[in-house]
Amino acid sequence: MTSAATPFEFKQCVIILKSTGKKAKDLRKLCDLIGSVSDESIFHHTYQYFLKEHVLEYTNDFAHWAGESLEERSLAEQLSNVDPYGFGTIGDLRDELRNVITAYLEGSPEPREARRGDEFYFNETATLVFPVGIWARNLAEFLMAIKVIETGSIYYHFYEARVRVEDRTDDFSKWIGEALGKEDLAMHIRSIDPFMHNVEEIQKHIADAVEEWVKRDMERMVHAL
Amino acid sequence: MIAKYAGIAPKGDLIVLQKLAERLHERSFLHVNSTREGGGVAEILQRMIPILQGLGIDARWEVIEGDPTFYEITKKIHNALQGNPETITEDMWEHHFEVNKSNAERINLGADAVLIHDPQPGPLVEFREGGTWIWRCHIDISNPSRQVSNALGRYADQYDGMIFSVAKFAQALPIDKFIIPPSIDPLSEKNRELTGEEINEAVERLNIPRDRPLILQVSRFDRFKDPVGVIRAYRMVKKYNDCVLILAGSPATDDPEGAAVLEEVKEFAAGDKDVHILLLPPFSDRDINALQRVADVVLQKSLKEGFGLTVAEAMWKGKPVVGGFVGGIPLQIVHGVNGFLVNSVEGTAFRIRQLLNHRESAAKMGQKAREYVRANFLITRQIRDYLAVWYALENKGRSVFVL
Repeated sequence: MTSAATPFEFKQCVIILKSTGKKAKDLRKLCDLIGSVSDESIFHHTYQYFLKEHVLEYTNDFAHWAGESLEERSLAEQLSNVDPYGFGTIGDLRDELRNVITAYLEGSPEPREARRGDEFYFNETATLVFPVGIWARNLAEFLMAIKVIETGSIYYHFYEARVRVEDRTDDFSKWIGEALGKEDLAMHIRSIDPFMHNVEEIQKHIADAVEEWVKRDMERMVHAL
Repeated sequence: MIAKYAGIAPKGDLIVLQKLAERLHERSFLHVNSTREGGGVAEILQRMIPILQGLGIDARWEVIEGDPTFYEITKKIHNALQGNPETITEDMWEHHFEVNKSNAERINLGADAVLIHDPQPGPLVEFREGGTWIWRCHIDISNPSRQVSNALGRYADQYDGMIFSVAKFAQALPIDKFIIPPSIDPLSEKNRELTGEEINEAVERLNIPRDRPLILQVSRFDRFKDPVGVIRAYRMVKKYNDCVLILAGSPATDDPEGAAVLEEVKEFAAGDKDVHILLLPPFSDRDINALQRVADVVLQKSLKEGFGLTVAEAMWKGKPVVGGFVGGIPLQIVHGVNGFLVNSVEGTAFRIRQLLNHRESAAKMGQKAREYVRANFLITRQIRDYLAVWYALENKGRSVFVL
């Protein structure tokens, strides 16, 4: 089994929610505030959506609110189609969200306001990142680890990494490709659609793929004997 | 102390707690509230202080003292913050301040971090001696009296940060505002694992039949908890599924309406032998624990709610909860995933029937409910968040902290 010169160190993040004190009761106000709230707030309501328990109908908090609180299903679908990882900066993502809402408002009857207490509350976060005390030096150790780490660790390495890692990929495939030289497995992990699964499913998909590769390695080793 | 939570709380929470505790080691953390016993704040502080001390933090808990007039005023402030019309005169505000002033002379307020719970001790910030001061608001202030929130604003501005339970309670203040939901202690008498014998003893003593599905609501006899609506929903279900309803609550000494509501509920139940109305003595934690464990479906059909931690308590016992779409209940129940959110008696009845007729999916929902509470509503998470807020306020200007 190939061992990496640099072991993979599993880390995890937890977030502490902060209120910006800003809220929107309708789509026009939502659009205005998307234009003015902090980058951290936009980041929280889009990228960090995957840290939360959610149904796979929406991919960010704005879509969720439009669909559930305003019952604007079409807009919710359009907002869910905005891929935050497809933008170079938070500013570009912010512009796209505003464009989608503005275009929708131009072509639709004036949407209703949210009920009192059901407004959109803009939050941001303080993020704590910490090592969980698990390292992997080869694929077998990685497989053991990926099965036991918590979802906060999967989020950190699979989702959050895309805005942290230079080539906008996840930490797992980057290490497997670069440190272990298993580019085909790395490609397989990269092909897992982050939007179509919750964090637990992502964890299972990665574990299944790695297990498959570990089995192949073992079989090759047996044949080589 | 924290070791007791290993295997119960998420491992990540325990790791980050220890990392934060290393950074805040032997530093002092003072909590101040207005009562040593009774109420959710005192309950959680009784459990939290020893855990903080066990983590190597010099944690202390002080309670302010006041005369009856003070508590009448603070009750009015409390009600006004929850949206009730109340008149609080300048003399009353003056008395509120003076009582806090005399407490400031009595209590050692020197600490590296001071966490003030609720409005009663809020003015203590006028006497701060340094350290990081945080004001924790436990109540629903989404629709407060403007006069009262403005009056308290003069104190709020002097804090370094505020903590609210739910985002919609947070006010537009020029200081850092954190959202930290309350929590349950999985090792407390109300939530710990019970043996089969303990459960049977409680259920038999309370004369609860076990031959049919049990539907349970645990709450005070309060109109906002809609006990009459619960009975209506039960009657709709009963046409299709034979079942037993349990309405369990304790008499609230601070709620003069409780006895009247209890009578209304009894009258509405009209002697139905399958409706068990249990008036449990205060601190019947083990009985509530047992009832939640034997229930097939747990309800929290509130019309208005602060956070509604009884939802998390039942979810922790692996029960799918049908809860009203109010207060903090939607933060605990992810609709269709770990329970159901409802807006009407009819919706409540429909979801109860759904759960009774799909036992396998109800059991899966219950498992998800327990895991959701494990990840989000255990006391270890709340302590983690308090320490994180303290640490973040001491390191202002950053949003990411590598520990």
